[in-house]
Amino acid sequence: MAATNDDTLTKVSTDASTEFVQSFYPALQSNRDAIGSFYLPTPSTILFNGNTVADGAAVQDIFVNQMPPAHYEVQSFDCQVVNRAYPTTTATGVKPSAQMGVKDMSVLVIVSGHVRYGESRDQPQRGFSETFVLVPNPSADRGKRRDWLIQSQNFRLVV
Amino acid sequence: MKSMKSRGGRSGGTDRGGIRKRGPTRTDRDGDMDMDGGGARAKRGRGDSGRLAAGGRVQSRDKTMDAIQKAISSSKDSSQVNIRQGKAGGGTWSDSPLVAFLERRMNAMTKSGPRAKITKSRVEGDSLVVFVRSDLADKMLRINGNLFAGIHVSVEPHTSAPSSTLDQDLASAAGTSASTADTKSKMTAILGKRYYPDTKLLDLSKLGTDPDLLAMGIFNTTSTESKFFPALMKVWEMGFTTSAQRREAVQSVSLAHNQLANISVVTTLAQTVPDIKNLDLSNNNFKDAQSLIGWRWKFRNLEFLDLTGNAFSADPSFKDTMLKWYPKLRILNNVEVRTAEEIAAQKKTPIPVQAPYFQDESKIGENFVRAFFAGYDNDRNDLINGVYDDRSTFSLNVNTMAPKAQQAEAAGWDSYIKKSRNLLKISHLPARMSRAYVGAEKIREVWNTLPQTRHPDLTTHPEEMLLECHPIPGLPDPSGQSETGVGGLLVMVHGKVEESVGAKIETRSFDRTFILGPGGGVGGIRVINDILCLRAYGGHEAWSPENQAIPQAVAPPPAPAAVQPGIPDGYGVPAPGKTDTQLQQEQLIAQMSSKSGMTLQFSEMALSGNGWNLDAAWKNFEELKAQGALPTTAFVSGA
Repeated sequence: MAATNDDTLTKVSTDASTEFVQSFYPALQSNRDAIGSFYLPTPSTILFNGNTVADGAAVQDIFVNQMPPAHYEVQSFDCQVVNRAYPTTTATGVKPSAQMGVKDMSVLVIVSGHVRYGESRDQPQRGFSETFVLVPNPSADRGKRRDWLIQSQNFRLVV
Repeated sequence: MKSMKSRGGRSGGTDRGGIRKRGPTRTDRDGDMDMDGGGARAKRGRGDSGRLAAGGRVQSRDKTMDAIQKAISSSKDSSQVNIRQGKAGGGTWSDSPLVAFLERRMNAMTKSGPRAKITKSRVEGDSLVVFVRSDLADKMLRINGNLFAGIHVSVEPHTSAPSSTLDQDLASAAGTSASTADTKSKMTAILGKRYYPDTKLLDLSKLGTDPDLLAMGIFNTTSTESKFFPALMKVWEMGFTTSAQRREAVQSVSLAHNQLANISVVTTLAQTVPDIKNLDLSNNNFKDAQSLIGWRWKFRNLEFLDLTGNAFSADPSFKDTMLKWYPKLRILNNVEVRTAEEIAAQKKTPIPVQAPYFQDESKIGENFVRAFFAGYDNDRNDLINGVYDDRSTFSLNVNTMAPKAQQAEAAGWDSYIKKSRNLLKISHLPARMSRAYVGAEKIREVWNTLPQTRHPDLTTHPEEMLLECHPIPGLPDPSGQSETGVGGLLVMVHGKVEESVGAKIETRSFDRTFILGPGGGVGGIRVINDILCLRAYGGHEAWSPENQAIPQAVAPPPAPAAVQPGIPDGYGVPAPGKTDTQLQQEQLIAQMSSKSGMTLQFSEMALSGNGWNLDAAWKNFEELKAQGALPTTAFVSGA
């Protein structure tokens, strides 16, 4: 792996998390059919208020079929690089570090905001905290794909 | 002091808001209004709602007192003018456009010299009292009769004369002068007669006919009348040493029979007793929702509200509006409008709240969290030396807008805001870089600048923190040997944190996520990532599991569960001569004590005070603890 300087690490990780936050929450709100596309095919752990959910398809199913309309507002978020050379498993095995670029990092994202369930504006704003670990998309498909996918997710109502 | 007073043509309607006395004294008060243009006096103005509390703006008690005091002291060197502006429709009126208008008019008359300026203004009843330099007084008076917003404004010198001593005493109820002390002691006596400790009722009904208040001349002028209630509340508050005691003392308030057309005069009640469950506003002159708007977001625990004998009760939207305003309201005008089940259902979320997910077979996460918060509170250097290395990363972000728990007072963010790496706000790369701290030394440096903290004790207050933890793969291997990376733990903590800032204790909530990997630190681990989010205190109700009445301990204490401190042998066990009731009670007490960390004695008090209902006792315990009303002696020491 080419030595990557701190500027690049910060830029890539903060751009990745910004892009993620700005597309994931709108999807939960109004593009629920796309929710599954945010997840790694075999994610590590997905938690909502202590309930485990198997994978992205199951999350999407819950949001499409069981969740009332929800209005999310992200009020603060931050991220850090976890592993600047994340060992992505591809069809041909684990990607060797020699082939890795700057985008082969995993990123920890923590989000703080509020959510309002239901159509009515009078519903209470519930504070939430959500933690994600994003990892490089292992798909070789160079088409229109997301660069990072959810490996772990933990949503908690906190207020 | 030159003092002027004015008022405009009134547009008829009901009495204006305010606690007022009835009968002949009404003309005394109206004596102030003699300069009024024809006919308006007989028809009183509509309730000029809003005033200082318009739109539900929170106004601090102390600021009210300060403002009144300032207004009085400043009147020594400037002229005071009273302006009345009638307003049709009874909408909220704000004084600022009127102030600007008056300044414009005065400037139009000023050919040279400094610009005319209104140095201070305040709303008093339906008048606006403004202060100007003495040389401007004549110009001010000439505005009398001018049109503002289609209404003739009348300007007249303001006299706060005969009761000015009382006026000042009310303003400085907290002061020390002899007459102030006298006013205060009279008020204390009045409150004493009107408070019923057994039922926690503060009966402030029919104030206008209270002989003691009449004797004090409270209702003789607009000025004293408008200051009376805030001062009364101030005196009431001074009777308590802690806000918890004050909140605890009153459960019900009656303001019945006070001829209130809006809440402006009594608005401070919401700050003094924010937690009341029962409020009687019957037999006043509230005619619509607008007349109560200042309490739209107050009294969040209100269960009983009586507005019978008010025109508003006949409004078709009355019930819906009140249900919307007060989520816990159950009885409105003596009719049940919501069941307990309906109230419980409101708290349900689409995703049921479960006990924390804690996958941590070798207790690495749990031991880390225990050691971490103890270290962070007591010896940050030692903590850094133990588990942070030259690649550990720490950053913090502040959510200044987060929803907060009811009653939570917002603490400032000065100690953190310049380090906050909220990426919504920090968009420039250099700032994003400088606000992430990589390596033990940089982390040490920033931690040493952050306020001292106290996190909840996980053993005695497990419910105040939520811990979740599970393994994650793909972490960097510090030894560089593993191609596939190493496994570690993702640890997420939410909870309360207290800070001592000077003599003050600030309470906040935090969310903190760690990634732990194998390493050379204490316990064979290292902190790879540590992200802290701080926000206003949000309580811990949100993570109480919905399907269990009693929240589970977040992380079970490592002590063997079978041995419970403070429980004598044979307690809760059948024995000769022990009745079934006694046995059941002992078992409940032991259960309560084990869950709450309270002594047997306090657990018994909690249960017997709640009809031996464990759920109710637990709820009660949580409330008291949240209010800080439980003494340390309530808890088993060292548990």
